[in-house]
Amino acid sequence: MSLFTKYLKGWTFRSTTPSFDVGDEIAVFIAEANGDGNGHAYVGDTKLIVEGAGFDTVEKRVRVRITEFDEATATGRGEFLEVVGESSYTR
Amino acid sequence: MSGIDDTPSTGDPTDSFVQGDDDTEPRITFYGGRGTSALPIVFFIVWAIFQTALLRIQSESGLIVGILIGLIVGMFFVRGDWASYANTIFEGMTQPVAVTAIVAWIWAGMFAELLQDGGFVGGLIWLADIAGIGATLFPAVTFVLAALFTTGIGTGYGAAVAFVILFFPAGILLGANPVLMFGAILSGAIFGDNLAPVSDTTIVSAVTQDSDIGGVVASRFKYVIIAAVVAFGGYLVAGSAMTGLDIGVDAQAILDQESQVIGLVHLVSMGVVIGTAVAGRHIVEAISWGIVTAIVANLVLELTTVGEIISFNAPPDAPFAGPLDALPFLTVVEDADAVGVSGSLIAGASGFFELAILVLFIIAAAQIMIRGGAFDAILEWSIENLATNVRNAELTMVGSAALINGVITINTAAEVAIGPYISKIGERFNLNGYRRANILDGQTAALGYIFPWSGGVLAGYTAMRDLPEAYDWLEADMLVTPIDVVPFVFQGWLLVAVFVIAAITGFGREYVTDRESEEVARI
Repeated sequence: MSLFTKYLKGWTFRSTTPSFDVGDEIAVFIAEANGDGNGHAYVGDTKLIVEGAGFDTVEKRVRVRITEFDEATATGRGEFLEVVGESSYTR
Repeated sequence: MSGIDDTPSTGDPTDSFVQGDDDTEPRITFYGGRGTSALPIVFFIVWAIFQTALLRIQSESGLIVGILIGLIVGMFFVRGDWASYANTIFEGMTQPVAVTAIVAWIWAGMFAELLQDGGFVGGLIWLADIAGIGATLFPAVTFVLAALFTTGIGTGYGAAVAFVILFFPAGILLGANPVLMFGAILSGAIFGDNLAPVSDTTIVSAVTQDSDIGGVVASRFKYVIIAAVVAFGGYLVAGSAMTGLDIGVDAQAILDQESQVIGLVHLVSMGVVIGTAVAGRHIVEAISWGIVTAIVANLVLELTTVGEIISFNAPPDAPFAGPLDALPFLTVVEDADAVGVSGSLIAGASGFFELAILVLFIIAAAQIMIRGGAFDAILEWSIENLATNVRNAELTMVGSAALINGVITINTAAEVAIGPYISKIGERFNLNGYRRANILDGQTAALGYIFPWSGGVLAGYTAMRDLPEAYDWLEADMLVTPIDVVPFVFQGWLLVAVFVIAAITGFGREYVTDRESEEVARI
């Protein structure tokens, strides 16, 4: 990204519920996990259930492949691929 | 990420931003429950308010004692072995989040001092002088020049002092309103403190949110410039509505005396740092290029001497003092108290030494709070009651950063303390590092220069109180009291307003899926 475009990036009003397409691969922080071994990620107010992202991925950034997405309810499901990053602060 | 992992760190420097185990249970237990682990930092905040707001003592060494006593008091509430508490202090102090910021501050301090000693303010006075600006325009132009100056040197406190000493009297002489002049100076300081890549608060905001400083600067430009355009208009309108004092002294003569066109060469030094920073170069590299440019400019244009940049002041009985006396950076001094090393580089670096120690201890206290569970308790309560969706989360981030910066005088210290909280709330909603850093630093910069107990206001006011001694025509009753200036720090109020509106409307919001920030070691 050029120096100029860095300054122009983000001059937009971003939705609280971003949407994704099936097949997209995204990296997101897992907010919490439930007992069935799935993780929950919130991208804004969009909720993703990440299958296979258990407790050990909470507050870690993971790569996810989107498998289902419903724009009307801003919810979707994805498949956990790998851990790609950490939180700035790990509690 | 495991902070007690013995494996050597390799690759991405962000990997070393490790903080402890992945344990879900706190590692230190306290009498009174996990909330007691907040005692050291709460003690420090109370001490900071008492010292800086109630007693108006702006001393970083006093704050160091406050946090040290807080850490000692906290230890008496630990259940079981106190060694884990002591070890956590070391764990906190050795985190790269602290060291990275300290290194950047020291580099930035040397650069800023070179610009100040190289007559950068004199160059800006020349600009104001040559434009033939009158009383109505002077506050608005002062705002722009103070903003430019602070964006170059990074320290808003330093800019507030320099502009109060040089621009404030000139403005009064020209018939500008004194309160508006002080407000314009503080507004300029906020602009630069927020935007400069060499600003201490910019550095802390980026490092605590795991983002590159150059990317942070470029991404926050939109918020800063919107507030600045409105603030500029505000100073134009207020400048024509608010009258000044009739002094009856030759204003032009004083402006001419301080004017030094050649000082504008440091716009190049400033451009080098900003350009290399936003281009994504390493922190040390970008500021080093600025330092080299400033030194060359100062020496070639004879703005300073070698001895003013670095000088070894040796006693006459030193074995090599005589033979090496001809060196331009060696001065033989008779007075024992004058022995030492002096100059712009030392003055610039040493200006951050106390702040560096203070920040190490604040981060240690924050680590105690994290390990003891109080941080989790506050976070869980916030997520349940405040940050219930992304809009509320951003408003919570704005509010909490504004609150802590509103009560703690030294805004860098407040920013370090609230950094982990902002990070956790933002990461939960996958807000990217730039957005988090910008929300954090917007409030830090703004609230550091508005209230009577704010560090920037105190720095400027302290310099102002000495002005009647320097100018015969300037009476004490012409000075501005800190409370009077509060409504006129337009950039500060507008910057907070911009972020509240941005949180509500989604302006500038970016998720980690939109853009990932680059590695934190780059600026």
